[in-house]
Amino acid sequence: MKIKKILALVLAIMLMTSLVVGCSSTPKEEAPKEAPKEAPKEAPKPAYPERAIEMVVPFGAGGGSDIMARSMVKVVNDNKWVSQPINVVNKPGGSGSIGYAYTAEKAGNPYYLASVSSSFYTAPLLGNSPVSYKDFTPVAGLAMDTLALFVREDSEITSVKDVIEKSKATPKSISVGGTSGTSDDAVMYRVLQNKAGIEMKYVPFESGGEVMTALLGGHVDVVWANPGEALNQVEAGKARAIVVASNERIPGFEDVPTLMEEGVDASLAQFRGVVLPKGVSPEEVKYWEDVFRKLHESSAWQEDYIKANSITPRFLGSEDFGKAIVELSDMYEAIFKDIGATK
Amino acid sequence: MLETLSDLLYGFSVAITPINLLYCLVGVVTGTIIGALPGLGPSAGLAVLLPITFGIEPVSGIIMLAGIYYGAMYGGSITSILINTPGDSAAVMTALDGYPLTQKGRAGAAMGMAAFSSFIGGTVAIVAFTFLAPVLASAALSFGPPEYFALMVLGLTTLAGMTGDNPTKGFISAILGLFLAIVGLDLVTGLPRFSFGMMELYSGIDFIPVAMGVFGIAEIILASEEKVNMEGLKNTDLRWRKLFPTAADWARSKWVIARGTVLGFFIGMLPGAGATIASFISYGMAKKASKHPEEFGLGAIEGVAAPECANNAASVGAFVPLLTLGVPGSASTAILMGALMMFGLRPGPMLFERNPDFVWGLIASMYVGNVMLILMVLLFVPLFVRALLVPKAALNAVVIAFILVGAYSLNNSMFDVYLTIGFGFIGYFMKKLKYPGAPLVLALVLGQLLETSMRQSLILSGGSFGIFFARPISTVLMVIAFGAIFLPAIKNMISKLRAKNASV
Repeated sequence: MKIKKILALVLAIMLMTSLVVGCSSTPKEEAPKEAPKEAPKEAPKPAYPERAIEMVVPFGAGGGSDIMARSMVKVVNDNKWVSQPINVVNKPGGSGSIGYAYTAEKAGNPYYLASVSSSFYTAPLLGNSPVSYKDFTPVAGLAMDTLALFVREDSEITSVKDVIEKSKATPKSISVGGTSGTSDDAVMYRVLQNKAGIEMKYVPFESGGEVMTALLGGHVDVVWANPGEALNQVEAGKARAIVVASNERIPGFEDVPTLMEEGVDASLAQFRGVVLPKGVSPEEVKYWEDVFRKLHESSAWQEDYIKANSITPRFLGSEDFGKAIVELSDMYEAIFKDIGATK
Repeated sequence: MLETLSDLLYGFSVAITPINLLYCLVGVVTGTIIGALPGLGPSAGLAVLLPITFGIEPVSGIIMLAGIYYGAMYGGSITSILINTPGDSAAVMTALDGYPLTQKGRAGAAMGMAAFSSFIGGTVAIVAFTFLAPVLASAALSFGPPEYFALMVLGLTTLAGMTGDNPTKGFISAILGLFLAIVGLDLVTGLPRFSFGMMELYSGIDFIPVAMGVFGIAEIILASEEKVNMEGLKNTDLRWRKLFPTAADWARSKWVIARGTVLGFFIGMLPGAGATIASFISYGMAKKASKHPEEFGLGAIEGVAAPECANNAASVGAFVPLLTLGVPGSASTAILMGALMMFGLRPGPMLFERNPDFVWGLIASMYVGNVMLILMVLLFVPLFVRALLVPKAALNAVVIAFILVGAYSLNNSMFDVYLTIGFGFIGYFMKKLKYPGAPLVLALVLGQLLETSMRQSLILSGGSFGIFFARPISTVLMVIAFGAIFLPAIKNMISKLRAKNASV
């Protein structure tokens, strides 16, 4: 029966594809979990990464964290700085808490890296995550990503002062689009309201793309977004930035003043970086610290990621990044207390 | 116009180099398979295959990824029609009439119709894209929260077309779907609703596990307990010539395809709506406009044509905001956008000017890819149909494996696997008690956008419902929706009155 053979072949191919697609991102778990605890032994042990490493992104494919992780992994793999492949695995859901909880569970296992973005700090503070920065080992900080306030090109609003004046004249007259929940843009919306003593309308959307569409379509008046997200609209003359939330002006947006310059005493920047689960050995941390230092110094990373996304590069090693994490977490905590968001 | 043509020709010069043809072929074949595998949708497939494209030229890479995306729209119908298990969410509607056709022994015709209608939908949409993309993109922008809300209301009116012979049970099923849409973090307050402390539920219940459970697993449990009537199958004529839609099929479907294509393309362009919603609304419209709506759900060929042309047109439409505005309209296009950024390209208004080889190469490759797809699908229709001859026990085991692997691949999480199995049992009891599954899935899909857009609108208007009638597009959509709800009742009353008058 020829047909049966063909059919069997087709089914076999389909099953294989399904398995490849479904499982390619799941590295084998067979490595002994207790290994790192006995690491200091002087026996001639094989060089550290003995198998593939999982780079956990606690958000969906295509988002800011995903792009950072994939750009990072691409440069590292291209240059063969690590003898084993690194696989990017998306574990989205629960404002990042699912991915972070998944990584934290792997305590002592140095084969799981996780990318850090603002939810890493904010979700635990808002009671949305069972794990916090204390469950991780800081490895390296790589970049500061801030927010800028955007309006449509033809908007009458030309500065943050306009926003404040208009809102003072007619409370709730300005609508602000954002991605809701614990996102940085929601934090900035509330900070601006508090600091300026104004009232605006916050319209939440499911994704950054929808927010930008709503701005371009004139459905909302202003939005807080990462500069890189809106760069293409700015270049095309469809949107413009009126203020940035960083302490200093940022590359690519040199004409745009900071909030401080405009008389609003507030700033915000998320520190993007990488962590390992807690309980890994200092050698392993050092290993990755070196890899990411090389990454930071490479032109591929600086050009393809940092510059393309209008991000401020800033490298911190494990120890300094650890301090920065605590500082940032404290900063968010203070903000949340200020705006009454924490329980 | 002339300029566009010369751009397009230039695009073809990029797309038909042997290497790009090869990538296109690999893309569409992979896409078809991913689409056909229950549970594995285009976004999961794209996310996994993304790293493969890093080593190659950006234009080749995106040609392949795009091929996976629209190829999946073809593949999804295959399993819908043959085994009543939608290959992806956009093919849920295809199962409603596709599977009854299979039971009647017309699997070939159904698959042929799905392929042709996909081809027409896809190709017409690409032509529209080629010549009208910038204009259309700004039209899509005029869709704000009130317009989305009106569109979702219109979508919900199509529910009435799917309730089967017992409307009450149909509406109970729909309300269950609307309830499921509520689960998860509230978008406005950020508070979890009905999540029972489970983090996995914070982002809500995805409709893929629900659709896979209610349609796929439930079907298999049922099949295992009763002797499914396969009389029709035995009579299936497997000669190649007999496998195509007849002239009568075409006559019934041609307007359905025309409408579905236009509709699908427009809905595809709207961020957040996408191919699944397009296929729902297209099916509902086809039934409303049909002269014999009672045949829908029992194996009407236009019930296959309607969702298939719409979902293919929508998958092309989704490229409009992505390439011209730089905003992704769906999970799949968000991944494509991520890919573009990793290739060092910035999708958006400047892309056409800065990287014409890239944009036009991609557009041209979509023409090529659609031709490849229809040839491939038609060539293999006889082969796919023979899958029905595989012993049910073996086939079902394989399908269950596919569904569970697919469910896992959604978020790389076991939770979705359990959810799928759970909804499999719910679906089984629904079938036993004669509650239709389609309203549940439809309400779940539309419900999330319905609630979001309503609350966004009300925030914008400061709580006034007038906003839905204050703008032209939303007003028109609302009027059509109300018409769809009340016209049949009014018609009914008039004919009753007439009957009364006549008898007097």
